[in-house]
Amino acid sequence: MIAAAWICLLSPLAATLLITLGWNRLSRRGAGYLATLSVAVSFVAAIVAFAGLLGDSPNDRYHPSTLWSWLTAGQLDFGLRIVVDPLSVFMMLIVSGVGMLIVIYSIGYMDGDDEERRYFAYMALFVFSMLLLVQAGNLLILLVGWGLVGLSSYLLIGFWHDRPSAVAAAKKAFVMNAIGDATFALALFLLIQRTGSLDFEVLFTQSIGGSWAINLIALGLLGGAVAKSAQLPLQTWLPDAMEGPTPVSALIHAATMVTAGVYLIVRTAPLFEQAPRVLELAAGLGAITIVMAGLIALVQVDIKRVIAYSTMSQIGYMFLAAGLGAYPNAMFHLMTHAFFKALLFMAAGLVIHALAGEQDMRRMGGLGRLLPFTYVCFAIGSLSLAGIPPFAGFFSKDSILAAALDHGWYGELLWVAGMVGTFLTGLYAFRMLFIVFWGEPSGFVREHLVAGTDEQHKHSGEGPLSMTSTVGTLAVLTVIGGFLQFADVWTPVTNWLDPVARPLVEASGTQEAVSSILAVALGAAGVGIAWWIYGSHKSAAPRIAWAQNLLEHKFYFDEAYDFAFYRPAVFLATGLGRWIERPLVFGSVTELVKGVGLAGRDTSRLQTGLVRTYVLLIAASIVVLTVVFVAVR
Amino acid sequence: MKGPDVVWYLCVAGFLFSTGALGVLIRRSPLIVLLSLEIMLNGANLALIAFSRHFAQGDGQIFALTVMAVAASEVVVGLGLIVAIARQKLALDVDKLSTLRG
Repeated sequence: MIAAAWICLLSPLAATLLITLGWNRLSRRGAGYLATLSVAVSFVAAIVAFAGLLGDSPNDRYHPSTLWSWLTAGQLDFGLRIVVDPLSVFMMLIVSGVGMLIVIYSIGYMDGDDEERRYFAYMALFVFSMLLLVQAGNLLILLVGWGLVGLSSYLLIGFWHDRPSAVAAAKKAFVMNAIGDATFALALFLLIQRTGSLDFEVLFTQSIGGSWAINLIALGLLGGAVAKSAQLPLQTWLPDAMEGPTPVSALIHAATMVTAGVYLIVRTAPLFEQAPRVLELAAGLGAITIVMAGLIALVQVDIKRVIAYSTMSQIGYMFLAAGLGAYPNAMFHLMTHAFFKALLFMAAGLVIHALAGEQDMRRMGGLGRLLPFTYVCFAIGSLSLAGIPPFAGFFSKDSILAAALDHGWYGELLWVAGMVGTFLTGLYAFRMLFIVFWGEPSGFVREHLVAGTDEQHKHSGEGPLSMTSTVGTLAVLTVIGGFLQFADVWTPVTNWLDPVARPLVEASGTQEAVSSILAVALGAAGVGIAWWIYGSHKSAAPRIAWAQNLLEHKFYFDEAYDFAFYRPAVFLATGLGRWIERPLVFGSVTELVKGVGLAGRDTSRLQTGLVRTYVLLIAASIVVLTVVFVAVR
Repeated sequence: MKGPDVVWYLCVAGFLFSTGALGVLIRRSPLIVLLSLEIMLNGANLALIAFSRHFAQGDGQIFALTVMAVAASEVVVGLGLIVAIARQKLALDVDKLSTLRG
């Protein structure tokens, strides 16, 4: 089982190295197949590890393994250490499973791109980073995985490096994540100072003591989680990250990146539970993000950006659940979200692929008849996103809302936010669906799909088998995945995660029922309104200028950050350059250069090139030294 | 073992060394400079052997042998250089060979 876990971890890394070293000796297809194979090996190994854990009794499901001592400093000793327990295996299965489907999909999507090999090397690296993150056996290795995830996302978002917007988006994602990495690292320093170790079993069994210390630690960890998961206030990088290829967006959103924050909170739950206020803050941030992202999604016109905001909103639900201590609900939603979000992105990818890279929804329309398979898959994803039974999103989202009811007045407040979010979800998801797939095909669409029979339009049709098959698989998973857990009736996910993350709240049957009915009703209401406006065009979309402005500028977060951080930094830098650097630093350097030059010129006079002068100098020196020697004695 | 006192040997050694040093300093022909160097080395050798005998220890003699070996190789290199200089049709005058002036 341990061996399987190591194979699961290292196989994508091996693929990255092979593709990088092989380079031209490897065909472009070959790189894709190699990456797919490596992630498939990971997935099989994860299943083996899972089967191995099933054989243990629930309380023995904890197997750390250290390859070697990685970093030693004084009393501290950090091993290259992984841990196999229910939580890490749960994440391994999602990351490698969904990751595998996305890599297969990429073979079709990236076919013909100039730099396919680089792409697949990065993809494998991304999966490796995330596996390292979820399998880490101490917080330092987790931080390493955390940083590597940030790096690979940077590389992939900026994959099309000849587009300035892609490069800017990659940089933004990296910087935003670096803020979180920094607070995370600071929390680790404090933890080392308090406990002298970063191994999970040491950290989670002793109490940190000192309310300010534990609160600071939890805040630092939360800062990291918020940045990685694109929650308020570090959410601005996620929509821009849509500049990357569509499968990358799917990977970032479904399997490998934004879920890391939720995983971190659940993994370090014993620390967070000592700082309940911080945990409530996490839930509150999640709730605000749910509503905010839902509102912004209403006005977006880029198909991928709508899905991106829906991710922010859904991760908000997970934060809400994790913050209230409903860890299994958060993890369950993480899983179903991985299914339906990958499905949505990849179905959107089919649309974009069919329309030769167009992402603007205003130019689409009437695609339902032309791409029936894509339409059905997209509809399944949207229904699941909106939480309509029997699709996966219904089961996981409603259990989160029900759990919120079991947390006093604060929980009820969050519950209301979650309900508003459900309504918005139905509205924006189906606004997108109706705009893209209903109505009459636009001229632009006709040009690409109806008339596209000649050689020039070889992209027409639903796409190659590698793309349609994976989308179909995810659609099936989205339909059946939710039945894995139906709160209060059967709860295998909760039971499985119980040894690692025991929930703090437990919703009663009534709360489940009330939440479910209300949530479904609100979601359906959202869908209905979307149909009323965008499906049947019975009335035009209401236009409120100031609200439209506010939402299109994403609540002015970018502008505010620009004003608060970027401008002062630039101002300070120019000021320092003009008033400090030029007169002081530049001046002193010039003086220094002049001095050295003069000294060198004078010294060089000693070198006459005459051997006799040298000999005379040596002889004279010896005489002087002898005299001195004798005199001193 | 009879013989002159060690001081006499040292006087001869000092004389040889000074003669050599003077030759190195004042002669211009590289060949003569090399010769003078040899004389200096021999002066040093004489001093080494004299002391070796004075203290009845073999170290000085071994050292003198090493110096001879070094001197021999040095002459090989030096003469080779001189031949090379002559072949380039350059003046055989150490004062004119001052390209390395700073």
